[in-house]
Amino acid sequence: MRTLLLAIVAMLALACVSLLVGVTHMPIWALLSGHDDGHAARILAISRIPRTMALILAGASMAIAGLIMQMMIRNRFAEPTTSGTVEAASLGLLTVTIMAPDLPVMGKMLVAAAFALAGTLLFVRLLRLVPLRDPLMVPLLGIMLGGVIHAVATFIAYRFDLLQSLLAWTMGDFSGVLRGRYELLWVGGLLAAVAWIAADRFTVAGLGRDFTTNLGLNYKRVLALGLVIVSMVTSAVVVTVGMIPFLGLIVPNVVSLTVGDNMRRAVPWVAVLGAIFVLSCDILGRIIREPYEIPLGTVVGVVGSAMFLWLVLRKRSHAA
Amino acid sequence: MLAKIILNVALMLTVALTVSVPSTGARAEFVIEHAQGRTVLTKRPEKVLVLDINTLDIADALGAQPAGVLGSNLPPWLRKYADPRYARMGTLFEPDLEAINAAGADLAIVGVRSRGKLKDVAALVPAVDLSFDQDRIVESVKANIAKVGAIFGKEAEAARLVADLDSRVTALRARATGAGTALILVTNGGKVGAYGPTSRIGWLHRELGFKTVESKIDDRFHGGDVVSFEYILEKNPDWIFVIDRDAAVGTASRGGSAAAVLDNELVRQTSAAKLGKIVYLDPSAAYIAPGGYTALTILIAQIQAALDRK
Repeated sequence: MRTLLLAIVAMLALACVSLLVGVTHMPIWALLSGHDDGHAARILAISRIPRTMALILAGASMAIAGLIMQMMIRNRFAEPTTSGTVEAASLGLLTVTIMAPDLPVMGKMLVAAAFALAGTLLFVRLLRLVPLRDPLMVPLLGIMLGGVIHAVATFIAYRFDLLQSLLAWTMGDFSGVLRGRYELLWVGGLLAAVAWIAADRFTVAGLGRDFTTNLGLNYKRVLALGLVIVSMVTSAVVVTVGMIPFLGLIVPNVVSLTVGDNMRRAVPWVAVLGAIFVLSCDILGRIIREPYEIPLGTVVGVVGSAMFLWLVLRKRSHAA
Repeated sequence: MLAKIILNVALMLTVALTVSVPSTGARAEFVIEHAQGRTVLTKRPEKVLVLDINTLDIADALGAQPAGVLGSNLPPWLRKYADPRYARMGTLFEPDLEAINAAGADLAIVGVRSRGKLKDVAALVPAVDLSFDQDRIVESVKANIAKVGAIFGKEAEAARLVADLDSRVTALRARATGAGTALILVTNGGKVGAYGPTSRIGWLHRELGFKTVESKIDDRFHGGDVVSFEYILEKNPDWIFVIDRDAAVGTASRGGSAAAVLDNELVRQTSAAKLGKIVYLDPSAAYIAPGGYTALTILIAQIQAALDRK
């Protein structure tokens, strides 16, 4: 409990750093001492707080989505980017961009979520069809499925000259976050809270279909709830800031190594560490080439692939 | 009088630069110097395929008749080439090699977007690369006008266009120098990037004299160097020139147009926004065909009008 408090303090400290990092001059001491003419307060309210909130919400909810995915699929390497979910969400977003470009952003998100759900269900079906001798087969299969869906999306985007837009969705980038342009992420945050409430059910479902049924739980319903949360969170993040790779993979695994697989205990850890991971990567991307930015997706990609390799190359006994 | 001198000089340059007819030897030669070397034909080509949008813009302004054109992303002023009576030779990036092979032409012209395909095209038909040079755009567009004029036998028209472009740029430069700093932004799917002096419309800085807000902008990226809205506010340029990429590639309203992206609480605080000095450049002219004659004159007229308005 005490270490969790420590992690929360670390997250809040990073959030403060994130509030202070930015291109516009924001005299924080003037703000604190009441000598501000309104400029610093405006920058804080319009740009800094929204960006920091967006980072925390996206980081926490994507990491939780990864955790749920791993419980549902019962595999340590399952997460939205290794199961075709993200690719399906961006295919959905592409479809709605072509068919109904003027739909409000909430509608776009729902369409993307529907596609994400369909893609994830397809993945679950595939897993039942293929004999899995090795736990690494699961992400491999998911990445292959994602590759196929992405190929379809790329072909359509190429035909409609939307390749750049597709790239924008697959590359997480918080540079455009302002007040009024990130609020959809609260949906993800809310769903993450739902996941916490339903945590015990997910823990049970993570033990398997028969076990769950024996305990008197409706396995299918729990599975459906989990996949809906994962799809909604994924599409909210993809629609607002673009995809953040590896997050849902690394954070839950690190947490599982330290606090185990009880989801009620794991959820707050996963949320806090997810936020810490995203906050630090974004701060890094803002500082390295200041005043220009390196998109978060790029930074996470570099840091995340190193950590992913570490996870894969660790003693295989942990991997299963 | 001055115009006439310029015209004559340009005309002579045209001939000297692009076409050399050796006096000795029984066979006349038609030599075209281009971005990837030098192509020698036995005579002036008659059937010419235009696989580059900038060259098509120039050929159109010259009143030339290409035997085949590229058929995608045509700006409004070139839309007539979408008509089936113009043989279609592929798209912006991809020449249709089958169609080119079947066309039996004398020459094919590739440009910035199709330059990588020069070898493939040249295997079928003599081909030249008339890419414009992003470091000195106006000069290289003038040179291209002369070359295209020579290829189509429109030397006099080419000289006239070159002189016309020259006088427009000179007039605008007189106004733009001292007009302050400018920031060129490109919007794409709701995101914003900055274009610098070596970007496709960097001539705003290099040749018109708008000062840059920052020397470090990296122009290697398609969507510009990623910047935040805070960056725009902090640099507070006198002028903001906006290229709406979504509108340029024909997906306007999809992903939100440039004006919607920039209409936010931070950009509204900049002096450019307050003084009405945000100029939304013609998307096709600025993004699709920035190396064409008509495109350049459209952009020049837009900037001139904006400068006159204040």
